Amino acid sequence: MSHVAFRERGEDLRLEADYVVVGSGAGGAAAAVTLARSGAEVAIIEAGAWRDPEDYPSSTYGAMRDLFDDWGTQLARGRALWPIVQARTVGGTTVINSAICVRTPGDIFAQWQRERGIEGLAERVWAHQDTLERELRVEEVPEPARGNSNRLAMLGASRAGYDSHWIRRYVAGCEGTGQCLQGCKKTRKQSTNLNYVPEVLARGGHVVSSAPVKRVAIEGRRAIGVRGRFEHPRTKAWGADFFVRARRAVVVAASVTHSPALLERSGVRSPALGKYFRAHPGTGVFGIYDEPVDTNTGATQGWASTAFRADPGLKLETLSIPFEMVASRLSGGGARLIERLREYRHLCMWCHAVRAESVGTVRNGLFDKPVVRYGLDREDMLRFRQGMILLAKTHFAAGAKKILPGIHGMPYELGPDQVSLLEDAPLDPRAYIAILSHLFGGCVMGTDPRDAVTDARGRVHGYDGLVVADASVIPSNLGVNPQHTIMALAMAFAEDLASE
Amino acid sequence: MKATVKSFIEHAMIALYPRTDALPGIEDAGISEFLDRYREESTLLMWLGLIAGAFAFIASPILTVHWPLPSFLLPARVLDEHAHRVTSSQLYLLRQAIFLIKLAAGLCWGAHPAVRAHFAMAPYAPDPGTWRAS
Ligand SMILES: Cc1cc2nc3c(=O)[nH]c(=O)nc-3n(C[C@H](O)[C@H](O)[C@H](O)COP(=O)(O)OP(=O)(O)OC[C@H]3O[C@@H](n4cnc5c(N)ncnc54)[C@H](O)[C@@H]3O)c2cc1C
Ligand code: SF4
Repeated sequence: MSHVAFRERGEDLRLEADYVVVGSGAGGAAAAVTLARSGAEVAIIEAGAWRDPEDYPSSTYGAMRDLFDDWGTQLARGRALWPIVQARTVGGTTVINSAICVRTPGDIFAQWQRERGIEGLAERVWAHQDTLERELRVEEVPEPARGNSNRLAMLGASRAGYDSHWIRRYVAGCEGTGQCLQGCKKTRKQSTNLNYVPEVLARGGHVVSSAPVKRVAIEGRRAIGVRGRFEHPRTKAWGADFFVRARRAVVVAASVTHSPALLERSGVRSPALGKYFRAHPGTGVFGIYDEPVDTNTGATQGWASTAFRADPGLKLETLSIPFEMVASRLSGGGARLIERLREYRHLCMWCHAVRAESVGTVRNGLFDKPVVRYGLDREDMLRFRQGMILLAKTHFAAGAKKILPGIHGMPYELGPDQVSLLEDAPLDPRAYIAILSHLFGGCVMGTDPRDAVTDARGRVHGYDGLVVADASVIPSNLGVNPQHTIMALAMAFAEDLASE
Repeated sequence: MKATVKSFIEHAMIALYPRTDALPGIEDAGISEFLDRYREESTLLMWLGLIAGAFAFIASPILTVHWPLPSFLLPARVLDEHAHRVTSSQLYLLRQAIFLIKLAAGLCWGAHPAVRAHFAMAPYAPDPGTWRAS
């Protein structure tokens, strides 16, 4: 077994394995461990460094520097510039996410069958989800770790009369530190750097970290390996070149933005490459309460509702963002901003994720940076606004004295009798501060090669030994958190690959 | 780092997060060291973004408080008004540029132990910046 970290120039690396997996996040780690369990020799090639919990940062600045892809500064270009947040580290985005675990809804498989001719995945995906839940010790947020924000949300939803629940997460024994975004130093969150990646090593595999893949090497129509150059984890200076040969196949799992860009610069030809980018754009509404909420304590995300998934197409959740981010998220500046921040202990943010139908594109840009073009159409903006109204009503039902909508052109704060003002909130996305964290598409699967990059087993149409196994194959929005679906799909694809 | 560029950024950040009777300002939160670190560790694009944000802040009082002066020549009360209004400018790109500088300043101000103590939060442990090297 071997882990190869950053190497200086001149110390070039050549390695060979049965399977080469690009990326060690949700999809990559799940695919790699499945292949390794089949007895194959697997090499995981990961752009980011391998950071163990004792290496994790504490501050948000440290998280952006050490864990986020490009410091979290990648923007979706549309009418508004909304950031796309992903990680670049061994374990991928599972290191910085909230580990919320939701089984793939049945209607999604029906939709994929109807729209893309994909059959026979449902039972297999659910079976893998059973395994994942057992292995990654999924549990409901325990009572002592719930924190006031999550409890208030539960109260608000029940008073407002809709269904909601404590979240189930890939977290065993959460201590409620509210630090999921900076990596869980308590090792409670089961990010893939703690389990599946080490298991691949233990089964005789390899992990090459700080090693962004530049190209998949393709001979004729067959993928034969990957090449790239090490990147120093701190200085970002280039190091040695590497080439890792794949005896059987290359599995690309570099994320929704990086997988299509990597295939594009590798010369893969597909009319659907980079198309059908989708997301769950989301924003938050703060509520301000008489009693201190201390939103920084308790599980980062502990409460959710899927009651509005079908209509109007929303998921609601609590979210404790770090204090540093609250400082910039509240509107205003100068003495008035500081005055507003004095209320910090009394506020908490709840957010929505919109099951948006709008689609965008991903292209390989300058310096191999993915370029995402994406904006929300009017229907999606109506959903977006509707979500904010629901959050506002839930806050007031929970006893908030006011809410902070954070919408440009609207009052800073609204009282309980002013919620109706939100019904006329602008539909211009530039009026909102939103982020994209659940991403889909770019290498979508389907039976028709004119409209899909891969088939229903993740194999790139028209190529041999080239599989995609991450969120980029997902051809629709899920309306629920995607990690569980991504991991189970990747396991199903890897299982098929191993049996070929 | 060129002292003038840095001092322009500091000026904008101090105006956005000023010292008040209630709370320490960013000038009490190690802004100078923070900017040195940010310049060294972040990307060129991010640094250029901060410079752009600072210049946007300095050049925009005419749009916000209608004073035809750079922000560093404004009297204190007018500067504070500018710092407030510029965050909600009608011009999206100006708003975004200021958001960027406010975000970076927030990373410094919000992580400072003196500020965190005001909100009953423990100081952050240092960011080790380490990784598995073998
Ligand atoms: C803040 C946040 C919170 C979230 N919370 C949840 C949640 O609670 N539940 C949930 O279900 N989902 C959540 N998500 C979404 C979820 O984490 C992602 O959908 C999921 O991790 C995507 O899996 P992936 O395998 O496609 O990509 P990733 O997990 O992002 O992994 C891709 C990996 O590929 C690497 N890589 C990229 N380019 C290259 C290259 N050229 N060479 C080598 N390696 C490369 C990256 O460094 C990265 O490690 C959250 C996302 C964010 C940002
Ligand atoms: S809330 Fe804290 S203890 Fe719980 S999973 Fe997140 S980081 Fe770990």
